[in-house]
Amino acid sequence: MKKFHDGYRRVCRSVVALALVTCALPGYAQEVYPTRAITLIVPFPPGGVAEITGRPTAMAMEKILKQPIALVNRPGAGGAVGNAAVANARPDGYTLLMALSSISVIPAADALFDRKPAYAIDQFAPIALISADPTILVSHPSLPVKNLQALVALARTKQGQMSYSSSGIYGALHMPMEMFLHHYKLKMRHVPTNGGGPALTTLLGGHVELTAGGPAAITSHVKSGKLRPHVSWGAKRHENYPDVPTFKEQGADIEYYIWSGLMAPRATPEPLLKVLRDAVRKAVEDADFKTAMARVNSPIQYMDAPEFAKYWDADARRLAAVVKVVGKVDDKK
Amino acid sequence: MVETLNNLLLGFSVALQPQILMYAFIGCLIGTLVGMLPGVGPLAGISMLLPATFGLNPIVAIVLLAGVYYGAMYGGSTTSILIRLPGEAASVMTCVDGYAMTQQGRAGPALAIAAIGSFVAGTAGVVGLMLLAPTLASFALRFGPPEYTALLLMGLLVLAYMTGGSIPKTLAMAGFGLMLGMIGIDAMSGYTRFSFDVIELADGIGIVPVAVGLFGISEIMLTASQHMPKLPKNPSLRELMPSSTELKQSIGPIARGTTIGFLIGIIPGSAHIISSFIAYGIERRVSKSPERFGHGAIEGVAGPESANNAAATGAFIPMMALGIPTSPVTAVMIAAIMVHGISPGPMLISQRPDLFWGFVASMYVGNVVLLILNLPLVGMFVSLLRIPYSYLYPCILAFCLLGCYSVSNSVVDIWIMLAMGGIGYVLRKLNFDLAPVALGLVLAPMLELSLRQSLAMSAGSYAIFVERPISVVMLGCGVAMLLFSLKPLLFKSKKKDWRSTVGLDEVS
Repeated sequence: MKKFHDGYRRVCRSVVALALVTCALPGYAQEVYPTRAITLIVPFPPGGVAEITGRPTAMAMEKILKQPIALVNRPGAGGAVGNAAVANARPDGYTLLMALSSISVIPAADALFDRKPAYAIDQFAPIALISADPTILVSHPSLPVKNLQALVALARTKQGQMSYSSSGIYGALHMPMEMFLHHYKLKMRHVPTNGGGPALTTLLGGHVELTAGGPAAITSHVKSGKLRPHVSWGAKRHENYPDVPTFKEQGADIEYYIWSGLMAPRATPEPLLKVLRDAVRKAVEDADFKTAMARVNSPIQYMDAPEFAKYWDADARRLAAVVKVVGKVDDKK
Repeated sequence: MVETLNNLLLGFSVALQPQILMYAFIGCLIGTLVGMLPGVGPLAGISMLLPATFGLNPIVAIVLLAGVYYGAMYGGSTTSILIRLPGEAASVMTCVDGYAMTQQGRAGPALAIAAIGSFVAGTAGVVGLMLLAPTLASFALRFGPPEYTALLLMGLLVLAYMTGGSIPKTLAMAGFGLMLGMIGIDAMSGYTRFSFDVIELADGIGIVPVAVGLFGISEIMLTASQHMPKLPKNPSLRELMPSSTELKQSIGPIARGTTIGFLIGIIPGSAHIISSFIAYGIERRVSKSPERFGHGAIEGVAGPESANNAAATGAFIPMMALGIPTSPVTAVMIAAIMVHGISPGPMLISQRPDLFWGFVASMYVGNVVLLILNLPLVGMFVSLLRIPYSYLYPCILAFCLLGCYSVSNSVVDIWIMLAMGGIGYVLRKLNFDLAPVALGLVLAPMLELSLRQSLAMSAGSYAIFVERPISVVMLGCGVAMLLFSLKPLLFKSKKKDWRSTVGLDEVS
């Protein structure tokens, strides 16, 4: 019996080996991408949104591409360092970027200040949008307003006296606030900090009155009554905040998301991009990926390259317009 | 009280499970190594381990990462004391007197006191965390930008006590450090300053490459230029341990360092880095013989080393009690528990008592582990010095390069480190003291940001600093300290000021 099995196995093995060799033959002429590890650059420090969504994405794609994907943090200058590194990387499909929405703001700010641009938006080829989360306007509970109308009315009577914190000038939480202020023609004091965490801490301590918060970051504080949500920047109501209206419902045509998406250098050959796009399409259906994203309260918002390119284009336009409106801070005085 | 005890029992029942115990041990071990490697600080260590924790359960993850964090605070002192190479930013001050002790053949006691001080501070910090977390956390939130500014101004005043060298030279070096800290994006307007189109410089210059360069690389070059580096003799066990006098001298500094470090650690932000500088300044101020500082005073090791450990523990308070990432390290730790579906926040302690109390208990265990790990190793570490310089120093140089690069995978950091090494070499040849550069660089960006945030809050009115009780108290203390330090200059007493007796005499 055993002998039979051994023989059977041997035959099987040879057949499989032969099949593999035949399959691999054309591969010698043109190797099947990917043949080695892919580097996924996260342009932010560890622990941030880009890494939290990047890791599960990378893990799910590893399963599909059968090659390891190494996540590398290249923080600096609000994402500019890592973005620029990918923009100028060799377009061989082995260097990818986990970009956040700020990717569109940096070139706009560079243009505003006449700086040598770190990179240009057209240096990237979008692969897929992974997640998009609107910010939510939250206030300290000591502020005696319960809804947007009251808030706007109060801010009108106190022009230039109320204050808000942000993750930094032209940062991910500064942009939505400027959209809001510009739309309602309000003036407030801007207290920039150095990140989403410190911006939230400053509000929790009551040192400012408002901030735009990421839905995941503010959840526990809203539940415990330490923060009061007013309005969301999303087009639809946020599923975790069904009672919080959107700006659009309130008649203000403003929209803002902190999104994360996968990108490659522009010149990456189309067949390789196709492989990556297919991999992401399967990866977002992966059960482990879904659980991982649900755990960090990050809603999956998958879009394939063509759709994502359109989405990104519209978003970049909106953001560039905001940067222009904000202008150079000194010029306003 | 009974409730706390019950909770603690629950905590220990979690922390003493073999699996968790093992990870606490691994965390402490990795932390010690990470702290020892020049340039690789706790942040880099934790970040590298973060992906590995995704597959573990959340308690294990946080116990492991916390072990790395406070373990690094133990390990950081080792290289500072032995080869004048700060393993991470918080041990810059330890370089000064710790290395002076090594040169006098007292490396053993310096290492031992650093371990003991760290143990006392770490354990006391956990007691504070356990008993006072929720209370202190809401107090910590009251530290807004104006309070922060006042704290940092006090930090700046510490400069006056930092060196025994001439005051103009100290101020020149502090000025140099503060100017280095000006590089980068202006937080209020978004303009980039002095970045010369190098994107990496837009974030400013990090403390790690500067500290490693100024202290470590310059030391390597200085040693290479000496004719005959003297080899330390093989110390006997008795010489490895601090004498009873030294122990007695260290009690005060450890107690003060622990208190100061803990209080500063609680404050949101990166203020914990300055805890060791402030502790050093205070030790020098209260000392009856401040002239010994810079020449191997054991208080100069005990104070700062206790302070940085207590600060590391204090930093967990806002993280655990409020769920807010107040510093880069705690941000990574919060991410580590978030990926397990636990949302950190004010309800964490009541919702997941096993996590919080297990974490607390594991820190008691961890500190004991670290003491056991570190004390017997003192002898081994000291004998590292017997490796001939021609082998030891190239290795250290390689570690410096690797460590510096690993912080943010940036080649620019390596160039900064090497340039700082060159500058440090020249400055030390000219008898300048380098610690004020490090303090200046740490303080400048924080001070600038908080000052301008405060003024943004008040629309430009400086009255904000005197309208808020905490900041008034701190500024008052600061002014009092300043007056005290001016006293000997204004009223020439019969007894000469210690500074004039030290004059331009230098460390090297």
